[in-house]
Amino acid sequence: MERRESTASVSGPACNKVKSAALTAARLRLVSCESCHLLLRAASADEPGFCLRCGEKLEVRRRGSIATSWALASAAAICYVPANLLPVLNTITPQGSDDDTIMGGVIFLYTSGSWPLALMVLVASVMIPLGKLVSIVYLLITVQSGSFKSGRERTRLYRIVVFIGRWSMLDVFVDTFTVALVQLQPLMSVTPGPGVLFFAAVVVLTMLAAEAFDPRLIWDAQTPLEDAHD
Amino acid sequence: MPRLHLKTLMTDESDLRDLPQATVVRQKHFRLSVVWIIPILAAVVALGIAIQRIRNAGPVISILVKNASGIEAGKTLVKYKDVTIGHVTTVQLSDDYSRVLVNAEIDKHVAGLIVEDAKFWVVAPRVSLSGVSGLNTLLSGQYIGFQAGKSLKQARDFTALDVAPVIAEQPGLRLRLAAQTLGSIGVGAPIYYRSLPVGQVEAYDLAADGKSIEATIFVNSPYDKYVTTGSRFWNASGIEVNAGANGVEIHTESIVSVLIGGVGFDVPDFLPPGEPAAANAEFPLYQSRAIAMTVPDAIEQHFVLYFNESLRGLVVGAPVTLFGLTVGRVAEVGLSYDSTTLNLRPRVLVTFYPERVSLNLTAKERADAALDVANMPLQARARVLRHLVEDRGLRAQLQTGSLITGDLFVAFEYAPDAPKAKVDWSKEPLELPVASGGLASLEAKLNSILAKVDAMPLADMGTGVKNVLSTLNQTLKQADALFSRVDTELLPEGTQTIAALHKAIADADRALLGRDSPTTQDLHDMMVELTDTMRSVRVFVNYLQQHPSMLIRGKKEEKP
Repeated sequence: MERRESTASVSGPACNKVKSAALTAARLRLVSCESCHLLLRAASADEPGFCLRCGEKLEVRRRGSIATSWALASAAAICYVPANLLPVLNTITPQGSDDDTIMGGVIFLYTSGSWPLALMVLVASVMIPLGKLVSIVYLLITVQSGSFKSGRERTRLYRIVVFIGRWSMLDVFVDTFTVALVQLQPLMSVTPGPGVLFFAAVVVLTMLAAEAFDPRLIWDAQTPLEDAHD
Repeated sequence: MPRLHLKTLMTDESDLRDLPQATVVRQKHFRLSVVWIIPILAAVVALGIAIQRIRNAGPVISILVKNASGIEAGKTLVKYKDVTIGHVTTVQLSDDYSRVLVNAEIDKHVAGLIVEDAKFWVVAPRVSLSGVSGLNTLLSGQYIGFQAGKSLKQARDFTALDVAPVIAEQPGLRLRLAAQTLGSIGVGAPIYYRSLPVGQVEAYDLAADGKSIEATIFVNSPYDKYVTTGSRFWNASGIEVNAGANGVEIHTESIVSVLIGGVGFDVPDFLPPGEPAAANAEFPLYQSRAIAMTVPDAIEQHFVLYFNESLRGLVVGAPVTLFGLTVGRVAEVGLSYDSTTLNLRPRVLVTFYPERVSLNLTAKERADAALDVANMPLQARARVLRHLVEDRGLRAQLQTGSLITGDLFVAFEYAPDAPKAKVDWSKEPLELPVASGGLASLEAKLNSILAKVDAMPLADMGTGVKNVLSTLNQTLKQADALFSRVDTELLPEGTQTIAALHKAIADADRALLGRDSPTTQDLHDMMVELTDTMRSVRVFVNYLQQHPSMLIRGKKEEKP
């Protein structure tokens, strides 16, 4: 909804020109319920109050959006290192145990000839989490520095990040599936490695970070909320 | 001035309105959001894991192996007493490309064991007839075995052993054997003590000069105490067949040793056991048990014998016996040419071991120093010999050891009827008198039998036989005449007698069994009576069948 709002308020390519001239809902002290999207008049500028219809707490902008997003993103970044260094799968065969990291799996797939699979794993498990992380950090930096360039692209980037987020859990899913299925006890068994926990943490944290980020902030550089107070 | 002052104040007051007014901005008190706990927590966990990893990282060692067959980076393990203590991280060629450098990471808790004299080797399945080892590697793949060292100096570069130190840390005794040839002894071949496997061959190699084989053997405790300085080792490989003057002798330790060889050891009876052997002591490896148990005899004495018969069948090494006991061996078989008499004679040089004689004495006699043949002075021994030869008639003879193989041996035995011999006691080697024996004496006996046969009056015996035969002929003729008389005079009478007998029998037949004879008549009457009786019985039985109650109630009166 916010997105539509944004695009509606900033029409056309001449973004700079609409900076102060455009009339925004915030300026009119109107606030939209994030849950049921009912447009309400805010109770006060500081405390918009609660939605009349669904009881949701109203917020002009998500509270502590940038700080929360930063915290989650940095936690994800920290977890990303052990997720890639620690084994995600521990295969126990009579020939001994075998620890596999994500990159190890990619290399194995590539060397064993199935490069399309290797590419898939590389993209889904290594590049997408990293890309999501970089995208969130980029969005946060640009919002904080008050950049008003390429707002539409940044918004699209945000949408992609949110959309793609849930698919990264595929790895964890496959991992747990394998562990549950491959239990041929005397011959072979597979146990999850500590890396998969960190990997799941990366995925969940980036999803939460993307969720915590308020895309409306992208446009606040062009139509600052401060104008509304005056 | 006060006015001015006021005016100034007033103007100031009006001017102040142009100044911007401070706004009340809510204090943005710096408050660390609770959300930041998440990254801090993540950082702590990640750091914790990293620190743990670094602290647990053990030493990385490099092992030079001949080839990397079965060794895989990241998979092959290093095991000590079957416990994994590390794993191979990389496998690469050595700098000179001649060998393979295996890098392995060893667990930290065993880092103290990685010292200079620690040993590494590649464990591969080994199947031999003496046993199967490393069978678990068939499933698990090969691994690198490890044996801790005793040194205190840490080391990181090692060279793998070619074969596993078979007896790692087992108590026992390691010895070296020097042999002329390896025979069929292989690594792992058993060591036998009285046919009991007590150890095994660990390794063998060519000696530095290339002229002999050096084998390292290991005798397990507690059997190692039987290895003494007097022990003799022999190659117990395969089947030892001796077809000599002593007959056919087959000797083997066990079926395993027949197939894969082995080494036997024992202390020869004639030697004192001696002190227990020291570690790494070197022993000669004899080719067979027989050789190990005989050579060397410390004291040797040579005698030369000139026989007057064929030496065919006498070989070097053939036994020399004294009253049937082996006391020496034939050292040389050859000829001797006497230029003065132009005589060519067979010559046999024998080696005599005086120790063997004292060995065969009774224990009491052996204890008596005066009778110690081996250690008595040479002159004393010569005196004994002289007495035996000159007074008792001790002579050397060639005797047949085996009629099948025709082997001969030299036997010293008394020949009481031998002519008195003259012996030159100053000669070296001493020439001892001989007596024809064995085959030669057999020949002589056969000759004497033939001579006796020859002396028999065969011609007279022939005429006697002829007379006997002609008498016999006459007797037979008389017997023939007798039989012809019997034929003509006795036979016709016999024929008449038989005819009369025949007639008598026919009469009797007619009188007894003829048609009208009374006997036949009586028989006929009896048959008629019997038929009547049978009929009334049948009537009775029929009635009984119809009226079974008759048996109880009696016959019912039939109503008219």
